[in-house]
Amino acid sequence: MDRSIVTILCWVIVCFVLVLERFSPVSANSEGDALYALRSNLADPNNVLQSWDPTRVNPCTYLHVTCNIDNSVTRVDLGNANLSGQLVPQLGQLPNLQYLELYSNNISGRIPNEIGNLTNLVSLDLYLNSLSGPIPDTLGRLQRLRFLRLNNNSLSGQIPVTLTTISTLQVLDLSNNQLTGRIPVNGSFQFFTPNSFANNQLDPLPVFPPTPSPSQGL
Amino acid sequence: MVKYIRAPPPLVTIFLWFLLIESFSNASQSDVECLRAIRDSLQDPSNNLASWDFSNTTEGSICHFTGVDCWHDDENRVLNIRIADMGLRGEFPLGVAGCSSITGFDISSNNIHGNIPNNISKLIGYVTTLDLSSNQLSGQIPVDIANCTYLNHLRLDDNQLTGQIPPQIGLLNRIKTFSVSRNRLSGPVPRFINGTTFSAENYANNVGLCGEPLPPCQGPARKSHAPVIVGGAVGGVAFSALVFGIVMFVFMKKMSRKKKKGDPLGNKWAKSIKGAKRIKASYMYIFFWWH
Repeated sequence: MDRSIVTILCWVIVCFVLVLERFSPVSANSEGDALYALRSNLADPNNVLQSWDPTRVNPCTYLHVTCNIDNSVTRVDLGNANLSGQLVPQLGQLPNLQYLELYSNNISGRIPNEIGNLTNLVSLDLYLNSLSGPIPDTLGRLQRLRFLRLNNNSLSGQIPVTLTTISTLQVLDLSNNQLTGRIPVNGSFQFFTPNSFANNQLDPLPVFPPTPSPSQGL
Repeated sequence: MVKYIRAPPPLVTIFLWFLLIESFSNASQSDVECLRAIRDSLQDPSNNLASWDFSNTTEGSICHFTGVDCWHDDENRVLNIRIADMGLRGEFPLGVAGCSSITGFDISSNNIHGNIPNNISKLIGYVTTLDLSSNQLSGQIPVDIANCTYLNHLRLDDNQLTGQIPPQIGLLNRIKTFSVSRNRLSGPVPRFINGTTFSAENYANNVGLCGEPLPPCQGPARKSHAPVIVGGAVGGVAFSALVFGIVMFVFMKKMSRKKKKGDPLGNKWAKSIKGAKRIKASYMYIFFWWH
């Protein structure tokens, strides 16, 4: 009699666990969690995030999300989507993310330090928003970054010198913010002109005036 | 063009924002005009610029043109123009000056002739990569190219450029690539202020480039008018010798004629000659004798 009760109890527990797992949000998928956290923190009047269903096994069916062959998120394309609200630290939990396109919205708050964890990132486009606070110096860890466009926000503080270590940087736009301090000119920043830094409160780039011609050859 | 504003008063801020928005829209329109002007100034026999279609100029439309990179794909602001190896024919397209935010300009391997503009830093002053190689550019490398302070890569090789490399090019302290091989340049190789040196192959196949890494320039510091001075001195000496020789010849003739014919006129002349006036008088004698 006791044995059968125990057996029944075990089966009930097993069934219960199975049912629970069936209905829990994608706990096995942290990328889906990350995107759901972002969705929860944004106001979305145009319902562009309507397909971001947390009960999905992975976020690869979400609109505006692209995955690779291993069902890992590589792109988030939410430019010009009339979004407001703030970014979330969970964005750092997308290890294969290459393109983070959140430009031309009304997103406020700070750029999370955790974005520095996205070491496969190729493009970080947060331009034309209402972001404030500093540019995290953790962004210097994005050693594959090609496009860094943070222009037209209310970012303050100094330009992190760590950015000069990103040798892959092709396009840098920090213009139209409230950045202060010195403009780095070493490393990858040799490639950037005043266009990248215009309309801030930065110390002007030193100009080399033409001096009398140096001695001619040998 | 670029302003570094320090906390202006509110009215000024509003005014400046208005100006900014104005310049924002003007800049995008001028970039469209820039590309249009470039296309119009070049012949394109292979129709490689067919995608440069100006019938529908919405924001970001030029960003999909062949060879055009924008700062942002939804804004008509040109970052790079790379139209190499397209059979394009004409002179250096001055219309590029309208692309006020351009950093990269590559028109290599085309059929561009004529001079590199003398005021190139007024056209593309913020350029970081400039590739004009493998064309038919002639004339000299303009000194003004040294005012393109942000240049990292400068390729001028395989053209017909003459004259000397302006030494002021050595002031470009961001330069990483510099090639002038296969031209008709002469004179000393520039010495770069940041200590960068370039291998001999970057200077090869010219007519008289010298100095490290090439063999040293010959002799002391040359002045370009030295040959003129030498020539003038030689000519002056030769002329004086010729005049002296004529005078002596005439005198000898006169002396012998006087003995033979007893020329009274010459006698009178000879008697009236005194010391320093002798040669001057003989010039006058030559004049009368020839006539």
